[in-house]
Amino acid sequence: MAEKIQISINDKIVKVNKDTYLLDAVKKAGFGIPTLCYHKDLTPDGNCRLCTCEIEIKGRRKFVTACNYPIRDEIRVFTDSKRVKEHRKLLIEMYLGRWPEVPIIQKIAKRLGVTESRFKSSVTDDNPAACILCGRCVRACKEFMLEEILGFAGRGIKRHMTMPFYEVDPHCIGCTSCAYVCPTGAIKIVDDLNNPFDPVMIRNHGMKINAEMATLDKIQNRMREVGTANIVDVMNAYDLLPVHNYKFGSHPETYKIDSKMLKAKYFTQGMADGCWKGCSMACAKTVDGFRLKTGPYRGQLVSVDGPEYETAAGAANMGCFDGDFLVEFNFYCDTYGIDTISAATTIAFVMEAFEAGIITEKHTGGLKLNFGALREVLELLHQMAEGKGFGVDVGQGIRWLRKKWVKEYGADEKFLCDISTESKGLEISEYMTKESLAQQAGYGLANKGPQHDEAWLIFMDMVNNQLPTFEDKAEALYYFPLWRTLFGLMGLCKIIWNDIVPANNKFEKEAAKIPEHVNNYFKFFEGMTGKELNEQKMLLQSARVYNLQRIMNLMLGFGTREHDTMPYRAKGPVTKEEYVSRAERYDKQLKEILGVDPEGKSTEEKMAILRKYREEQYEKVTDAVFKRRGWTKNGVPTIERLKELGIDLPELIEIIKNHQE
Amino acid sequence: MTHLETIEQKVQEEFKQYKEMLMICTGTGCVTVKSFNVRDKLSEEIKAKGLEKDYLIVPTGCYGFCAAGPIIVVQPEGIFYQKVKEEDVKEIVEEHLINGKPVERLMYRDPVSGEINEKIEDIKFFTKQKLIALRNKGLIDPENIEHYISRGGYREIRKILEENNPEGVINEIIASGIRGRGGGGFPTGVKWQLCRKAAIEKKETPTVICNGLDRTVIETDPHSVIEGMMIGAFATGAQEGFIYIRKEFAFAIKRLEKALAQARKYGFLGDNILNKNFKFDINIHLSAGAFVCGESSALMASMSGRVAEPKSKYIHNVERGFRDKPALLNNVETWANIPVIIEKGAKWFASIGTGDISDNPLKGSSGTKIFSLTGKLNNTGLAEVPMGTTLREIIYDIGGGIPGGKKFKAVQIGGPSGGCIPESLLDIKVDFDTLTEAGTIMGSGNMVVMDETACMVDVARYFVNFLKDESCGKCTPCREGLYALNNILTGICNGEGKEEDMKFLEELSETIQETSFCQLGATSPNPVLSTIRYFRDEYEKHIREKKCPAGVCKALISYSILEDKCIGCTMCAKKCPVNAITGENKKVHVLDKIKCIKCGICYDVCPVDAVERI
Repeated sequence: MAEKIQISINDKIVKVNKDTYLLDAVKKAGFGIPTLCYHKDLTPDGNCRLCTCEIEIKGRRKFVTACNYPIRDEIRVFTDSKRVKEHRKLLIEMYLGRWPEVPIIQKIAKRLGVTESRFKSSVTDDNPAACILCGRCVRACKEFMLEEILGFAGRGIKRHMTMPFYEVDPHCIGCTSCAYVCPTGAIKIVDDLNNPFDPVMIRNHGMKINAEMATLDKIQNRMREVGTANIVDVMNAYDLLPVHNYKFGSHPETYKIDSKMLKAKYFTQGMADGCWKGCSMACAKTVDGFRLKTGPYRGQLVSVDGPEYETAAGAANMGCFDGDFLVEFNFYCDTYGIDTISAATTIAFVMEAFEAGIITEKHTGGLKLNFGALREVLELLHQMAEGKGFGVDVGQGIRWLRKKWVKEYGADEKFLCDISTESKGLEISEYMTKESLAQQAGYGLANKGPQHDEAWLIFMDMVNNQLPTFEDKAEALYYFPLWRTLFGLMGLCKIIWNDIVPANNKFEKEAAKIPEHVNNYFKFFEGMTGKELNEQKMLLQSARVYNLQRIMNLMLGFGTREHDTMPYRAKGPVTKEEYVSRAERYDKQLKEILGVDPEGKSTEEKMAILRKYREEQYEKVTDAVFKRRGWTKNGVPTIERLKELGIDLPELIEIIKNHQE
Repeated sequence: MTHLETIEQKVQEEFKQYKEMLMICTGTGCVTVKSFNVRDKLSEEIKAKGLEKDYLIVPTGCYGFCAAGPIIVVQPEGIFYQKVKEEDVKEIVEEHLINGKPVERLMYRDPVSGEINEKIEDIKFFTKQKLIALRNKGLIDPENIEHYISRGGYREIRKILEENNPEGVINEIIASGIRGRGGGGFPTGVKWQLCRKAAIEKKETPTVICNGLDRTVIETDPHSVIEGMMIGAFATGAQEGFIYIRKEFAFAIKRLEKALAQARKYGFLGDNILNKNFKFDINIHLSAGAFVCGESSALMASMSGRVAEPKSKYIHNVERGFRDKPALLNNVETWANIPVIIEKGAKWFASIGTGDISDNPLKGSSGTKIFSLTGKLNNTGLAEVPMGTTLREIIYDIGGGIPGGKKFKAVQIGGPSGGCIPESLLDIKVDFDTLTEAGTIMGSGNMVVMDETACMVDVARYFVNFLKDESCGKCTPCREGLYALNNILTGICNGEGKEEDMKFLEELSETIQETSFCQLGATSPNPVLSTIRYFRDEYEKHIREKKCPAGVCKALISYSILEDKCIGCTMCAKKCPVNAITGENKKVHVLDKIKCIKCGICYDVCPVDAVERI
């Protein structure tokens, strides 16, 4: 809880959080002060001085600007003392002398009772849309866009706003943030791109996002600062970080690869970076000047794009808690064109098999692939890329390895199936799903395999407990994959939908959907095409695509229920070691959910009971989801569903007709 | 490890080998009047006479007595030679060094008594001073670290590293009562304490910064600044320091670079300093320089490669400064004081100066302050005096009074944004609070002395004109207000003053003072307010009578030739740059007022005061 401080404003006693800006406190207390350079979405700058107030602090009186004065002491505030009034009047008189025709200045002057100015001079500018040097545009460029294209040049009275060297800066992408915050209309917008239907609609919603990124990211996720790596810390704290091939959810050495370490030791440039110029979230990060220790570029200094959460979590999954390793692994995966998730999950699986004795150094070509084997992982990665040694096998992925090991090495198929962290042949992405049934199904029932981009429900389900029933989970697994299909259809990033949420989102009825942000996308669509979009229309257009994808799965041999399974490792403790490590949690579940007294039972017995329960749960949720999606029990879209969606084309009916019940 | 005492012994033994040492000032002032040439000539001459085993030439930092440069002091005798030219060197060597007869004609003559002062300790300019920050001035070669060590240097950092009590150091600095020499006068120790506290709370490593805008100390004794910064770094937990210095201070930079390299070589900078697990190094930041960089947050913006504009200081730099981390900025003079405070103790330091700081460090000004004396003074230069010295002592004893028998009128203190103090206040004791009360600031410690020929309205206009261009333009009162002040003052000087101007000037000045973003703005009306306060009648004469009593404001004066006095010498007509004066030899001259540009040359050159200025 923030420290509270009691202050008086014009003798009215109010309590505010420490470091609240005085202007906010004054407004909240119901008093008005004129402002000019202030903008609610920008860092206060205090340059116009109009919000000057008199305060009494430790017995001394002084003048401060309310917009940027952080309250830290028990002060008395006078927003309208005689001196304050005199100063304010003179300040607006200065403005009125310099820019007499600017409406906002006239308005404030009128409010303060100033009509004439003694400040008329040779620099008086009669332009009603003159730049009044408030610097909002400069701040918007910097804070919304993380650019510094606009700035001031000239000292004293010669101060003016410009771009570097008085040339149109090619870095300006025409985001219009500057024009949006300009109080006088000094910055004109020329719409000459793509001919959108309603550029103002797009802009207004875009600006809202920019403002949220600039003001909320730093208190919510710090993704401008550390990118997605912030999730490492969060996942570890919630026991959701995959460790040792998903056996565990946290590790004491996570601090070696978490966002604090990455920021302190690796991320360079000291600023947010973006996938594309103009992104106001700019969560991409870079490690510059990194000297490689292995592989074909050994000894060279390189720039590495990342590491992002999944790459860092992949390192945890392999037990490789080492920053240098993480960055090097990231670099070579990128350079070789290998997905960091598939590589890490596959190698974690190989490591578990190695530690379980299923494969030995004989099979790995001498590589001792224990968890945490940093050098060996990098060597294996190089082998995969070069098509040499054990790397040739590992490069085929988990499903292929499992089949080979069962067939050629006589490995225990049941155990291998349990720890094969793949579904539909794709390796699971880096989140622990054991305690979230909805997320298990989110992975298992995803059309393109177990990745997190279709439905990421762990927090809703497990942490916030927003999906208590099968129906709730099914509804989420109906809605979110369709909603997220929209990102693909529009070609828009999803980070600005749910990573930062509006400050008042928690008061929304369907907070998990983040309705205000969903509406932004609808407005982008409408502003671009002129066609209105709402939830119903969105669900319809996404469902057409989604069902087509499902039918394509069927054509390719992956479209039925048997392919929507998840290995038991993703659902519960496979090994005794896993059960024992979280025994308290599992015992509690046996007792509270299943009514089984864990007392006196062996771990094996308890594991068997838990497994039976959890596997049944998975089947039940699958049933519920298929039903909600309008699919058969076997997971095939029904003909009625296609009719409903208006895609009951003969060639599609042909594919699904034999799979109807 | 470097053994300080061994070095000291070595240097002293080396010095003992010589009969005498010739300390030659190589501060910027003396260098501009060719002290390097004098030095080379001296060295040549000594060699030619085969005396190099008996006499050592030591190039020193600035003696501060710039009016007397180039300076040579023969030590340990203390014979002081001033304004030495290359052609004088031979005489010094032959007469003084060989024949033992000091050269009288190169000695300093007291401007008041007319007496010759043979030795440095006889010269009032020096005797009235008390040297703390400039303790080694003229005594060491600033480019030789061993000289600094031989004068007790680097003992204090060793002491505090051995004691390993950073809070103790801070308490000592607080107890000394030293206040920031950069002008603001904030208690230095309290600043250190706040910085240490913020660094610990935020778990961040602070940076120590030296504002090197005053180059003298750096040119004179760079290691004293380095040692001071080391102590500050140790006390606050910093590992990195910066000295912010204007690029055009080439000498100071060169000396600083040498000093830093030597300090690194001798193990005072770097890792594991003095084997005490203390890590610290100093970088030089070359600045393009702007007046507003005297404002700490603007300085830090400039250090970050940004335009030098101030940042709100409601959250102070000690908490969020350079690179948004705690930053400890002190002025170069403050830093140079630190080792002495540690050496001699807070009590000793606090005993110098004014006020009683025992319960509140803001209730006094302890120690000394370096002032730069310029303007209408006999002895211009730099002087370090105890706080509490009166203005009269500084101007008349150290400064040697006003030249040309003119009358003192005012002294402007603290730089362009300082106020002008009149003769009636010459007996005030110079310290932070008294100066503020009198309507000026300690500021940069600059004193511009003005005699009766100065027009105070014009003086105010002159400084405001400078300030309006140096305002960064960020905030409204400073940008628009100074521009307007300048317009009004210019109008008054041009004879366009209106009755209501005085009130408007005061009203405007107060708003600028109280609502400006930073101290540049807040102090900028001082020249106006102080001149109105002490010289109101001059304003009134300008406005009501359209007269400039000092005869400076051209629009308000006119020249004419008094027929009864003119002897027709033609001097004025010859010198007039616009041929506004006509007249034949031995006949009365006539001045064409339309052509006249009021440059005043005729007034100055007339041998019989026949040119009248009204």
